[in-house]
This record gives sequence, structure tokens and C-alpha cells, in this order.
Amino acid sequence: MSDPAQNRNTSSAPARPNTPTAAPPMRMPGRGPGGPRGMQQPVEKPKDVKKALARLFRYFEKEKLIVTALILIVVIMVICSVTAPNLQSNAINHITDGEFDLLPKVLATMLCVYAVSALCSLFQSLLSAHLSQRIVRRMREDLFDRIVHLPIKYLDSHPHGDIMSRMTNDVENISNTVSQSLSSLVSGVLTIIGTVAMMLYLSWQLAILSCFTVILTVFATKTLSSKMRSFFRKRQALLGTLNGTVEEMVTGYKTVVAYSHEQQVIDDFEATSDEMTRVGIIAESLGGSMGPVMNAINNVGFVIIAAFGGYFAINGMISIGVISAFIVYAKQFGRPINEIANLYGQIQTAVAGAERVFSIMDEPLEDKGGDLDMKNTKGVISFRHVDFSYVPGKQVLYDFDLDVYAGHKVALVGATGSGKTTVVNLLMRFYDVDAGEILIDGVNIRDISSDELRRSTAIVLQDTVLFSDTIRNNLKYSNQEASDEEMEQAARMSNCHGMISRLKDGYDTVLSESGQNLSQGQRQLLSIGRAFLADPKILILDEATSSVDTRTEKRIQDAMVNLMKDRTSVIIAHRLSTIRDADYIVVMDQGRIVETGNHEELMDKQGRYYELYMTQFAGNEI
Amino acid sequence: MFKYLKKYWLFALLAPLCMIGEVSMDLLQPQLMSIIVDEGVLGVSNNNVGDLKLILTTGLQMILTVVIGGTFGVLCGVFTNISSQNFGNDMRKDAFRRIMALSFEQTDRFSTGSLITRITNDITQVQNMVAQCFRGFVRNLMFFVGGIACMLSLDLSFGVIVACAFPFLLICVTFFISRVNPKFAILQKKLDKVNSVMQENVTGSRVVKAYVREDYEKERFGNANQDLIDTQLKILTIFSFMGPIMNIVLNVSVVAVLYVGSIRVQEGGVTPGNVMAAITYLSQILNSVMMFAMIFQTVSRGMASYARIKEVLDCEPVIADGAGVPGSASDRGTASGSAANTPAASPRGKVEFRNVSFAYPGGSGESVLSNINLTINPGETLGILGATGSGKSSLVNLIPRFYDVTEGEVLVDGVNVKDYKLSDLRRRIAIALQKSELFSTTIRENMRWGNMDATDDELEAAARTAQAAEFIHSKPEGFETMVAEKGMSLSGGQKQRLSISRAVLKQADILIFDDSTSALDLKTEANLYKALRTEHGSTTKIIIAQRIASVKGANRIAVIDNGRIIACDSHENLLKTCEIYQDIYQSQLKSSADSEITYSVKGGADHE
Repeated sequence: MSDPAQNRNTSSAPARPNTPTAAPPMRMPGRGPGGPRGMQQPVEKPKDVKKALARLFRYFEKEKLIVTALILIVVIMVICSVTAPNLQSNAINHITDGEFDLLPKVLATMLCVYAVSALCSLFQSLLSAHLSQRIVRRMREDLFDRIVHLPIKYLDSHPHGDIMSRMTNDVENISNTVSQSLSSLVSGVLTIIGTVAMMLYLSWQLAILSCFTVILTVFATKTLSSKMRSFFRKRQALLGTLNGTVEEMVTGYKTVVAYSHEQQVIDDFEATSDEMTRVGIIAESLGGSMGPVMNAINNVGFVIIAAFGGYFAINGMISIGVISAFIVYAKQFGRPINEIANLYGQIQTAVAGAERVFSIMDEPLEDKGGDLDMKNTKGVISFRHVDFSYVPGKQVLYDFDLDVYAGHKVALVGATGSGKTTVVNLLMRFYDVDAGEILIDGVNIRDISSDELRRSTAIVLQDTVLFSDTIRNNLKYSNQEASDEEMEQAARMSNCHGMISRLKDGYDTVLSESGQNLSQGQRQLLSIGRAFLADPKILILDEATSSVDTRTEKRIQDAMVNLMKDRTSVIIAHRLSTIRDADYIVVMDQGRIVETGNHEELMDKQGRYYELYMTQFAGNEI
Repeated sequence: MFKYLKKYWLFALLAPLCMIGEVSMDLLQPQLMSIIVDEGVLGVSNNNVGDLKLILTTGLQMILTVVIGGTFGVLCGVFTNISSQNFGNDMRKDAFRRIMALSFEQTDRFSTGSLITRITNDITQVQNMVAQCFRGFVRNLMFFVGGIACMLSLDLSFGVIVACAFPFLLICVTFFISRVNPKFAILQKKLDKVNSVMQENVTGSRVVKAYVREDYEKERFGNANQDLIDTQLKILTIFSFMGPIMNIVLNVSVVAVLYVGSIRVQEGGVTPGNVMAAITYLSQILNSVMMFAMIFQTVSRGMASYARIKEVLDCEPVIADGAGVPGSASDRGTASGSAANTPAASPRGKVEFRNVSFAYPGGSGESVLSNINLTINPGETLGILGATGSGKSSLVNLIPRFYDVTEGEVLVDGVNVKDYKLSDLRRRIAIALQKSELFSTTIRENMRWGNMDATDDELEAAARTAQAAEFIHSKPEGFETMVAEKGMSLSGGQKQRLSISRAVLKQADILIFDDSTSALDLKTEANLYKALRTEHGSTTKIIIAQRIASVKGANRIAVIDNGRIIACDSHENLLKTCEIYQDIYQSQLKSSADSEITYSVKGGADHE
């Protein structure tokens, strides 16, 4: 039997329909020539194949039914493919021997076998499709589930492009290879066993001769593929660099243009592109020669069989039908060996991908805290002797000690890098303290459920994050149950209602990632509106109005007075006008608190705050 | 598309030729095989006595054809790769060059993600299509035509079988292609969706966590994922039917050949060897039909991708070079930093806006700027203040021609900006953007974007002016520190100072800060402006800011409201005359207990 899609594994391998090779428009991590990042090598040697494989098999365990059915079908297919050539040779024998009356019966049997095998192959593809897609879905969901619950620390310290690449490329790769190789391996091994058995049964002498082809095939595959792999690896690395360049330069296009750097960028790009083409031509040419070489080896095998078969036939040791069957068998024999040889490399890459995926899944989950709720929380925040460092050895906060009373508005001031944002990171439990503790109403925040803590706290970040969704959904992100009236109220308070109503689609305008949809300041207003809608017990604004003009900011602050009555707010800003009327101002320097008090007290002290304040209004000529 | 192939015409021609060679050899084999079987093994014409010598000689012939065929095959692969990959490379380079020449309104329209996909994935698809055409198309056409010819030469009766099977296959292929093709476009879209949910969650994880939206996001991802899987399953299901149906047609034909063959052998028209050869030819013919189906697949995907690339290639930059200005920057040749060496020339850096109105192209058509008239003199410092969304950034974007005016004109040193060569114009202007874009290389390399020929002393000086020297030196590797993609290596203020250093290093006639000091604390900002005044006194400076303190010392401050300049004067005069300015001032300086502050403001001003 000949499966046309497979019996020529030569040149024109079509793009597999189930592997959308679309390089997703994702953020590639910086891969400048000077920035080596070992984890991004495209073809990786897995570290512990057995462990990764065992884990992969666990995904298959849940699909027991499909896997069993699939294996059964493959077995039937193999039986068909082993018997069909035998039937074909019988038919030829009958023709040669002139036994034409026996022929119809053989042909009928052949038709039956073909029908069964076609049916089987239909079910086989359907089952593998379902199997692979079910596994992809589960694996992606598991991975996403894990990523969503990873501590911020992990996401801060790993290139985003790499994480996303695991989600799309690696998972896809695993599923394709595994679902393909499951059938191929089973059918390959069975075909080899069956074919060898049939060949031995037909003529052991010819069978031994066929081994010659096998040895040649294995040898050629090994030599070629080891050469190929190093070139392919190099090409993948260059491709990574190229994608990185394109990503970076297209995203930073404004700067490229502003500095008339187009030519240098183009030169860089072309150098990488040329090198990639050079390596690619070698790699692909080597890959492309696999087909003709295998073809040649198979044909040499044919000549050997024909020559010796003829010799044996002349000497009456075997029949002509045996020869014709043998030719088909020899071909059939070569195919699974080629396939398994190819699979070997593929499986290695897939297992390496699986390890990348599993390594994320093995990351410890974010500590979700205790189970205390914050229903009756007043909002008293206390930092007790908090020490903290992002990287061991580089301490960011030293003995940070601070009490924030319920209903107060506290401002953190200080130079860039003095640790203001870190305080927020700790309060939200994006990071955990190294030493000391943070209490809310006297309860350590580790004992409060993180979800509860965050639900009661609204935050507006330095870097505005909005989702590519409608303005309505972006605003309601903080409070899904909010009514449209409440949403508009929040938008009015954050001074963006007017701007939104001027848009053609109003609240249903879809925000785009780039483009002139909204200015930087307008995006900040939206994210403030989102925080207002959350109706939080504690409100944190981290440089939330840096791109907003001061008059608009003042209107927002006036609106906040009502909203935050009896509630606690923490504000970080450079603009002293933003924080002037805070109840309590904390001046920070290099991770330490250097001054505290309200505006008047600090001005009277004539210390650091006074200095900062004076620079804003005096001695500041250009 | 042929434009790109022309350069490699020799290889593009050799590749199919070699393929013809390979296929001819392949087609010869069944015939030789049939001789070996019929004459050598069976001895049909020799009273059924085999001829071992014939087997060996024909066998050697066969090995020879195999080796020649294999060589042709390998060569074909090499030529195909040379032409198709160079073709792809040229197209990729052209597309990238084109992107680098596009105007912002055009890149805005394409969107970053789409441009990246086009230049990477789409080019690969087209390249695959070309390679596929050279090898696959030629190969299968040869097999198809050659196979039919050889089979008919064996016996005409086999032609009937082909004639019956062929339409079946044709219908199958057409049916499947028409069903699957539209699904690929959908598949790409669904994949984009999964990616975008993923990206938003990775980059916006703080917001997701802060609002405890993990479950919501999981559901959102689950839906996007399910959508993608469903589409993929639909495609795979269609393909699952395609294989077996084609197989059935093929195998039934094999049975038919055996049956017809047996009749013809009985009649003495053909030999058993002929029947065997016919089966081989038949599978070759039907195989090639199957392969055509796959090729059409690649071609239709490739054509779709080509259309997307062509869209970029055909996109003429809206903002193009002007005729060039004689005696302008272009005469300065390569030494871009040598502007200061011509003290005899009249001072440079005058910027004029004459009746300028502007609306974003492709936007709602609403004017962002209306009727702007403003002259900024050489060496002057102009501050720009205004509400969020009032058009401040849009105004300065017009000077280096990031966008073109809708009405009126912008002049630099008395010449309309549209008349400059773009590179000359932009060489005169250094701009530090609102969002500091740094590249993943060393701090030194990032700064050198301002001036590739800058010496270490110049770098150091620029860093000092921008108040960046201190933090750069505090890093163990100093200027060689790598700037990471994101990460915690640099704070917002540090990034802004680096991007200011880069602008300062450019030593341009006009220096523009587009709200680029927002993350700096006040003291640092004050020091920066002081350094700028002493080190770059003759440079025209345009400073967009939110804080009055940032612009208070400027010669003049333009107050922009709703796209109009409502006042432009010194700080003191504006305080007296401009209501909005007073309002801004008050918003930054609460009215209560401010007599002392007002006093110190005056004190500060007295220094001037």
C-alpha cells in the first residue's frame, strides 16, 4: 500500500496546516550582539529527557481513550500496509503465471484492505488532531493559569518576549511533534517489525541484503543531520536577532527618525539579514539534499535486490512475485527508519520546549496570604522596620518605619531611585519584605488574603496600563458590577468624561496599542478613573498625574476629597503642588526616611523638604 | 515580484532545469526496472530464462541514473535556495528600508505589530512559495506529464484508468482548497488574539493583580484559546478527509491497473513487468496531483502574504525630501557636529510658525492646532504650557516634520521645512521625547546615537549636562552598562536623563524637550536647566512642561489651550496678564500662606 503523502519524503514537504508559523507580533527581548541570554537558544539540548517525557506523558494519560483508540487504529493500519504489498505481489504472480481466474478474488481482497486502511487513516488523522489540540489547549491553559498567579518578581526579571514565546511557539511545537510522533513511532516500529518478518518469511537471503540499505540510510541521516543542526541552530539565533532588531526599531521608530539614524539601522539590519541568508542557504541546501540522497540509497537498494533477486530467481530459489513484493517492502522499510531518524531531532527540540514550559509551571506560585478579610478595616497602615532589596546585596529600603492613620492622605517625596515605588510594591504585596512587617489595622498583611487586600486597594501606576478593549470595559475593569452611571461619575471625577464624550463612539471607543488614539496624559486620566470606580478603602497614586497638567490635576484632587473622605490615600509625586495639602509628607532619600511632617512643619524645619520646595519656585532659571 | 527574481535569473533558471534532470532520471527508473524484471529475471523474450548479465548491466545503468538524478536533485536544492532565499532577503531588506522611510501617520496606520509580522513571517511565506514553485511545481508537473506519457507508452488502455481517476482527484483538490483557504486568514486572526491577551497579561500583570482580575483574565484567555483551537480543528478535520479520500482513489486505480493489466497480458498486449511499471507510474501521477494540492495551499498563503508586503512596498512616504537648500547643512558633509565651527555664519535656530493649522491625518478631522503664529529666535528659550490634550506635542512634532501641517507653513532659519532634505532638517534638531525610547545596547551606544563621532570627553560632558553622569558612574560598568529591554536596571528618571544626554550630544541648533523631564525630581531638573544655560546658551530651546518651575526661566512661555496659542510672554508678564497662566500658577502654588513663596520667586527672578 502506498500512502502518497508519505512515500516521497523528498523535496517538497508542504507547510503543515496545523503549524501556523506566524511569528506573533510580540515583544522580543533585547538580543543585542553583546547581550547573551542563554535561555533563548532556539535548539536546546534537554537537560533531563526522561523527566520531561514522563511529565508529557501525564498529559496523555488524561486522554487515555483517544490514545488507546489511536494505537489500535495504527496497529490495523500497519497490518494493512504490511499485507497489501503481499497481495499486490500475489496478483502479479497470478498474472505472470497466467492464473487469471484467481485474480478477481485477490483484487477484491485488495480493495477491502485498502478500504479498511483508508478508513483507519481517516480516524487516525481525526483522532490525532483532537488529541493534539486538546493537549495544546490544556497545556496553554495550565501555563496561563500559572503565569497569572506568578509573583510579580518573576515577570519583572524575565524577558516578556521569552515568556510569550513559550506560550505560543513551544506549546505548539510540543503538541505537533508529540501527536505526530506518537502515530509515527508506533507505526514506524510496528512497520519495521512487520516488514522484517514478512521479508524474512519471503526470503531471508534478500532480507539480509536489505540491511545494507538500512545501514546506508542510518549513516547518511546521521551525517547530514548533525551538519544541518549546527547551521539551523545558527540560523535560528540570527533570526532571533533579526526579529529583535525589527521589533526594537519599529517600536522606537520615532527616535530613529528624530536622530536620522535610518541608514545605520538599515545597515545593521541588512548585515544580519545577509548573514542569515548565507547560513540559511547552507542549512536548507543540506536539508534539501536529504531527499535525493535517500532516494538514491533506496534505488541502490532496489538494484541490489533486483540483481540478487534475479540471481535467486534464475536459480529457482524465489518467485518473481517475491521480488516485486520485496521492492515494495524495501521501500516501506526505509521510510520508518528515515522518519524515526528525523523524529529524533524533532523530539529533542520538543522536549527542550517542554522543559521551558514546565520550568514556568514549576515556579512557586505567588503567596496568596492568609484568610483574614478586610471588611471592617479602617485603613491604618503601619510599616515596622522594613528592610527590602530586589537583588541580594543591593538594599533599597532601610529600616522603613511609618504609620499612616485612617483617612489620612500621605505623600512620599524624594529623588528618583529613593525607594518610593518600592513602598507601594510592598504594600500591594507585589514583593514581600526582607525584614520587618507591614500591618493594616494591626494585622500583618501576610495574614490577610492577597485578593482581599488588593480588592480594597486601588492603585494607579507610573506606567499606564490600559487594555485594547473599549473605554467602558477598561474603566469597569476595577469593578465589573459598576453601573454605567457610576462609571460616568468616576470618569467625571477623573476629568475624562468630557474627552470621552467628544470621541465618536464615546465610551465604546476601542483603545489601540499605538497610534494617536489618546495622549499620554489622557491615558493617565483613564487609569485614574478606573481606580476611582473601584471605590477602594486605600488609594495609591504613583506618579499618576505626571503627564497631566496641573489645573486638571487640581480638579481631580478636589473630586478626590469627597471620594476619599475617611479613607487612606498614598501619593507619590515629584510635583510638590500635587502633595502640598497632604496630611503627612514623608521625605525619602536612598531608601531611608529623612523627614516627616505636614507642609507647614517641614517648611519651618528648613530641611530637605524646604530645599526641594524652594528649588521648585526659586533658583531655577534656564 | 519578478523584479526581485531577475537578479538571480541564472539560479532561478538552473533550479528548474536541474529538477527536470532529476525527474527525467526518476522517470527512467521504472522502465529500467521493468527491463530488469522482464528480461533479466523472467527472461520473457528468452523462453523464460533469466539473464543475470542483463540484470547487472541494467542495474549499473540504473545506479548511474540514480547518481545523476541525485546530483541534479542536490544541485536543484542548492540553486533553489540561492535564488529563493536571496529573493526573500532582498524583499525583506527593501521592505525594511521602506518602513524606515515611512511617515508616522503611515506607521500609525499599519501598527507596530503588523509591520513586524509582515517583515518576518510574511516574507518567509513568500520565500517558501517561491522555493515551492521552483522545486515542487516543476517536479510535480514533470511527474504528472511524464508519468502519463510513459504510462500511455506502455499501453493505451491504462490511459482510460487515468482519465477516470483524474477528474475525481481534481474535484477533491478543488473542494478541499476552497474549504480550507479562507480558514487560514481566520486562524491568523485567532492566533493574534491569543497573543494579545497573553501580552497584555504579561506587561500589565500589576494591574491584573491589583484589581484581582486573574479569574476574569483566565476566562478571557480560555475563550481566545478555545476559538483558536476550534479553528485549527476545523482545518485539521478537513485535511483528515483529504488524505484517505485521495488514497482510496489512488488504490482503486492500482487495482484497476492490475485488472486491466491482467486482461491485456492475456491478450498478449503487455508484459507483467509493464504492469508493475504502470503501477509505479500511476502512483507518481496521482502523487503529483496530491502534491499540487499542497502547493496551491502554499501558493495561496504566499500570495496573501505577498499582498501584505506589497502594501508596505507600495506605500510612498507622505513626507518626502524637499529639494534641498543650497548652502545648508548638506554642505557640511560628514562632520555633523561641526556646526559650531562656522562662527561667521548668522546664528542658526530660528523657528517660525505661520498660520499653522493641523489635524491628524486619518483622524476624526478635528483640528488639533488652529492658526498658530509664533516666531522663536535663535538662542531663545521658549516654554510651552497647556492642558492635557491641548496640542503641545503636536506643535513641536511639526518642526522636524514628523507630521506635515494641514495649513500654513513652518520655517526653520527662514526656509520652509518642506524645502529641506529631511536628513538636513533633522540634523539641526535634537528632540527628547515624552516616552524615552532606549535601545538594548550599552549606555555609550545609546548616547552615541546623538553623534556617532563623539569622543569620550564629549560623552562625559553631555552626560554631566543631562545630570546623568553621576548615576552612570555609580554603575560598575559605567558607560558600558547594558540597557535592558525593560527590567529594573534603570528608573524612569534615569531613562529620561539618558535620552536627554543623547539629545544634548547631538549639538543641534534647536533642542526640543517634549515633557521629557517629568520623572526628574525638582532639584535635578533645576540643575539640568542651569547646565543647559551655561553649556548650550546659543542653542534654541523649546521646552514642553507641566511644571511652571520648568519653564519659568524661559525667555517666553507660550500658553496653549485647545490648539490655540492664547498668550506668549515672559513669566512675569503672563502672571499679570494671562488668566489661564495665573490659574496654572495657582494650581501649583496654593493661595494660602504663599506670601513668602511669592517673595522668593521674585528673589529668584532678580538674579537674571
